[in-house]
Amino acid sequence: MSPPARGDGDGAKGFFTDTTVCIGCKACETACKQWNQLPDDGMAFAGMSYDNTGELGASTWRHVAFVETATEGLGEDAGRDGLAWLFSSDVCKHCERAGCLENCPTGAIVRTEFGGVYVQPDVCNGCGYCIVGCPFGVIDRRDEDGRAWKCTLCYDRTKDGQEPACAKACPTDSIQYGDVEELKARAQERLATLHERGATETYLYGAGEDGQPGTGGLNAFFLLAAEPERYNLPPDPVAPARKAGQAWAAAGIAGLATAAAMLGAVLTRGRGR
Amino acid sequence: MSGAPDDGRNVDPRLGALTGEAAGQAPRGRGAPPPQAPPVEDGGSPTYYERPVIKAPVWKRSIAAYFWLGGAAGAAATLGAVAQLAAPVELRGLVVSCRRVTAVAGAASTAILIDDLGRPERFLNMLRVVRPSSPMSVGAWVLAGLGSACAPAVALAGAGGRLGRAGDVAGLAAGALGMPLAGYTAVLLNNTVVPVWYATHRTLPPFFVASGTVAATGLLELTRLSAPERRVVHRLGVAARVADLLTARAVEREAGRVERVARPLRDGASGALWRASSGMVGASLALGLLPRRARAARRAGAVLGALGSLAARVAIVQAGVRSARDPRATFELQRAGLGGASATGRAAVSGPGGRRATD
Repeated sequence: MSPPARGDGDGAKGFFTDTTVCIGCKACETACKQWNQLPDDGMAFAGMSYDNTGELGASTWRHVAFVETATEGLGEDAGRDGLAWLFSSDVCKHCERAGCLENCPTGAIVRTEFGGVYVQPDVCNGCGYCIVGCPFGVIDRRDEDGRAWKCTLCYDRTKDGQEPACAKACPTDSIQYGDVEELKARAQERLATLHERGATETYLYGAGEDGQPGTGGLNAFFLLAAEPERYNLPPDPVAPARKAGQAWAAAGIAGLATAAAMLGAVLTRGRGR
Repeated sequence: MSGAPDDGRNVDPRLGALTGEAAGQAPRGRGAPPPQAPPVEDGGSPTYYERPVIKAPVWKRSIAAYFWLGGAAGAAATLGAVAQLAAPVELRGLVVSCRRVTAVAGAASTAILIDDLGRPERFLNMLRVVRPSSPMSVGAWVLAGLGSACAPAVALAGAGGRLGRAGDVAGLAAGALGMPLAGYTAVLLNNTVVPVWYATHRTLPPFFVASGTVAATGLLELTRLSAPERRVVHRLGVAARVADLLTARAVEREAGRVERVARPLRDGASGALWRASSGMVGASLALGLLPRRARAARRAGAVLGALGSLAARVAIVQAGVRSARDPRATFELQRAGLGGASATGRAAVSGPGGRRATD
């Protein structure tokens, strides 16, 4: 038996992404691609804002969202055309209750000693079940190699005591790496400062079990300045296994009822036409 | 950079070694389709340029046939075991027919499952761990167990004495795993973040079990059976078709708690196929109720029932793909309190001042 690993306990590492200081430079995207030697996705023009990356995927483990907003805030000037920008660098959330990990039938997806969720490259058989288990649309399979890929929380760097490439490259410290508990305290402080300065629309997304019960809290959490939907983040995500008990119960009752119907059909075979 | 291979990385092999985490990723073909912003749809919750919020399932189309064959194999296995327990001599022909249907459908579904893996050569990794939180893991073990039991049950069906008894024991073992095989595929879909699958926890498993029984009885009605055996299959088939039609409506109702979530079952290709499935099962029920003399009509009814069951699986899979591509289905499901709030009793913070998603 291998119970699904959870990331709680002392010393879990993760990211605090303070989107209010993100300038949309995409240094994190580039550093991630470069360190992990991820191939490019085929240079393409998406036609939406300045975001030509689009989404996280098998070969894109950091993605900067460019949210165009008509409201002013955070000291942003809505400018001549009435538009301001919100930026946010998205990444695998390394959930406490990770849908991908709980769905993985091979044990390829494991919890590392840093609390990160990691896909073992030599075990994954490409069944694709993690992909529909992730409430954030992070993990994906590549047709070219047939297995699932996602952010490793730079497992190869953290093992050597270094911070992940994206956090290292971030010029404004929008991406901060460290002990999750410490990061949460820092985030609360930052939030208080922002509210003091009048940016009262800001809040923490995914900070701790209380902040996001469905996932048990995210080891990579965010400080946002608009509804989660604007950043393509789900408002109340859930690791689907939390509801599986009900489905198994329904399947069990249906199975018993069907077996009873079969017995009934067998026992009444002598009568009627 | 001279000397750099055209693999999308631009690493000059004389200067850098390809040893990074993703160095093994094969390059994507040049000219891959660019990510496109879909056209802005009707109003509702805000989205990020109408882009999907979750990934769509990557399974091949054949996965629907896997669900269908698994349902038929599971129901046939259990019927065979029940018949063997209740009337081992009189219904011997039905017992053997059930084992054969189980063996053929089970083997075909296993082949489809392996073919659908990104790395089929690593199929056996499915049996590397037992993970109760993953219906895929539970199902892989059920399928492996049922296959292992069904093979001797078929091989020894004609044998007498000790060997024949061993075959009967194997038949019972396969029967015990039959309903789990027929039902787990629905739990497998429930246990995802795809809105239309996730939102049908209570109704999709009974529907899959009923639909699997429709398929099994449809296939069995096409085999050679004695008069009492035919009556068993026929009566079970009528009950299964009624249950199929009723539970299909229940699936629609449960998904319909959030209008957006049920949409793929109502319109488009998946909705049309979903309705066609119920139409076929309904027609099959009507043909089955004709007098026994109308043998050709009854056989047509059996085929219609089996095809209707297959159509339902295809419709459910297609509906899931559409549901995953619609970000508002996810957003509205969760804002309606059917996300984390329904599983934990408390919605996530998604606004300033500790405001929660359902506030």
